Amino acid sequence: MPKLDAAKLVAVRKLLKKNQVDGYIISDFLDTKYIMGNAFIVPDEATLLIHQKGLYIVARTLYQAPIAAAYPEVKIEGADEHREVKIIAAAKKLGLKKVAFDSEKEFYSKGKAYVKAGFKEIPSLIGQIRVVKTDTEIKTMATAAKILYKAVKHIEKFLKVGVSEMEICQELESFCKLQGSTGVPFETIVAFGPNTGNPHHSTGNTKLKKNMPITMDFGCIYKNYAGDITRNIWFGGKPDAEYAKIHRIVKAAHDAVVEKARPGMTGKQIDAIARDYITKAGYGEYFTHRTGHGIGLQDHEAADISQINNGKILENYCFSVEPGIYLNNKFGARFEDCFYMTKNGPKRLG
Amino acid sequence: MNCKSDKLKNFQKYLKAQKTAAFVVTDLESVNFLSDFEFLYEGDASLLITPNKAFCFAKQMYLGDLARHTPYLTLIENNTIINIVGKLKDLKIKQAFFDPTKMDYINGNLLHSAGVKEKPAFLLNAREIKTPDEIKKISKACKISSAAYDIFRKKIKTGMTEIQAAKMLEDIMASLGGVGLAFDTIMAFGENGANPHHRNTNRKLKAEEPVLLDYGCKVGGYCSDITRTFWHGKKPTAEFTKVFNMVKTAHDLAIKAARIGISGGALDAVCRDYLEEQTGRTDLFIHSTGHGLGWFIHEMPRIAKGEKGKLQADMTFTIEPGLYYQGRLGIRYENSVHLTKNSLKILTKK
Repeated sequence: MPKLDAAKLVAVRKLLKKNQVDGYIISDFLDTKYIMGNAFIVPDEATLLIHQKGLYIVARTLYQAPIAAAYPEVKIEGADEHREVKIIAAAKKLGLKKVAFDSEKEFYSKGKAYVKAGFKEIPSLIGQIRVVKTDTEIKTMATAAKILYKAVKHIEKFLKVGVSEMEICQELESFCKLQGSTGVPFETIVAFGPNTGNPHHSTGNTKLKKNMPITMDFGCIYKNYAGDITRNIWFGGKPDAEYAKIHRIVKAAHDAVVEKARPGMTGKQIDAIARDYITKAGYGEYFTHRTGHGIGLQDHEAADISQINNGKILENYCFSVEPGIYLNNKFGARFEDCFYMTKNGPKRLG
Repeated sequence: MNCKSDKLKNFQKYLKAQKTAAFVVTDLESVNFLSDFEFLYEGDASLLITPNKAFCFAKQMYLGDLARHTPYLTLIENNTIINIVGKLKDLKIKQAFFDPTKMDYINGNLLHSAGVKEKPAFLLNAREIKTPDEIKKISKACKISSAAYDIFRKKIKTGMTEIQAAKMLEDIMASLGGVGLAFDTIMAFGENGANPHHRNTNRKLKAEEPVLLDYGCKVGGYCSDITRTFWHGKKPTAEFTKVFNMVKTAHDLAIKAARIGISGGALDAVCRDYLEEQTGRTDLFIHSTGHGLGWFIHEMPRIAKGEKGKLQADMTFTIEPGLYYQGRLGIRYENSVHLTKNSLKILTKK
């Protein structure tokens, strides 16, 4: 039987108090997924009213019986349309005095009804919480990461002369699926040879030859949470000397971030650890993207490790660390794992 | 190059026919649909479309790719409502519209203040009638998924898990030319079929039990949708056979009744009345009879209780009655169909 992650509701209620409201309305698909897991299949099927004493849901009628049975702590009402009307009535019935809705993610037609009912606008309250991962979320994301580590091992035996990028991509995705992944969070990048010089290469039909570098940037989705990894391999023979060098640099830049980043540093400061390292090594201008991005229900979410993020990275934020060097038309390398921030610095997931 | 902008052209024709001077689109899936470009996240881009022109307001990082791939769009840097409103003024457009059921409250409010008016579900309605090219793609996707079923039946074996069986089915579709899934495959063994929104598990298939599979693939971005329930083994229980026959009959009745001019509600009632009369219960058929399908898996028309919209030529939709006995047995039978001027074509059948 599915269970709600109580830690998430505790966090929401704390923020309700801080914002001086006693109820908050959400209907954004990812935000409802954050609270209810896989309860709803597609967007726009449910509206949630989170209040200090409980969770009130108005959802498509077909969900009424299964959700009532699966979540005894939830009150649910069925409505195939105009769920906002029932939510407004429920807020009154529950005696909630100050109710707010997510003005950034709620549709205009519904927001209008809420404003008319006297509800307050508070943008993206769940967004503020989603960035801090609960223990359960970290455990789930660790499992996602483990699937990816296994996939890296698994793929080694498929790397043969003549195999195409697309075939390796298929095998990676297929392996992850059999390990419990339900999909890919982004299009898998498999790049051979000079294609590794393009960080956003589209996987194609290039065939593998001896003495070629390989970059694989791929992910999985495990219990709704995304995993993301990048590995480089030199195929056949001895790696080109410059390739070995840039590979060593990106790995060292990556490790420097893991060693030196601390909670309370800004995304910009953490990005600088990797960027400075690569710059000192003489390849600064070839590191053409940010050091990392937040990760959770989405493969890219808040908690950017980038030159433009002046926000602090705090404990239990999850993010990728993925410095890279790209020598156009020649080759490139990127090394990526995902981490959660602890008081002692980043800890690798899985 | 321009051939890729069919969807935009069709929408512009619709604007003209509806005498609508301009329409503002900001939600990610509609923007991607109309621009034929894959923006990654909500807020990355918006469109302002007139019968003759299409302006794309996009984040700077996309401008290079857009210039190469979407010559039919006039590009404007920065995706803000202020930019859009400014452009409306420049163009001296008297009345522009937006969809309040697709626009978030904050931005909706800004547009409202600028005099932009509401047209709910406008784009959804514009897509209701499919073009010959769209029907071709939907038909091909449907053909692939029904052919995949026959192959699947030969390969499915006792002991496979739901996850493995789903993967096998998806691979079969890919090998027949399907590109991606229309939605997450539902593979439900035994009692799991009773949950219409089941998520695949590691439950193994036993001899002598039912299998329910609900799935679809995409061709050229267009979806197919099909559900089959069969008895894995030699001797279906009397209950299985009885329930299956009821569901199949309900489906056949709806297929016969589906014609130009009938309302979605009346067609839903054909299935619902029959199933309620046969079972003596109103709590077993817990979803609507069908939905339109196309670029998205759920489009107009709705074949649901109380739906007033009438069926018209060149709509594509599903007919999918089901009966669900909680914790025990669920049976659904679904085909995707195309209503032509003279007949109803079942697309997911040989």
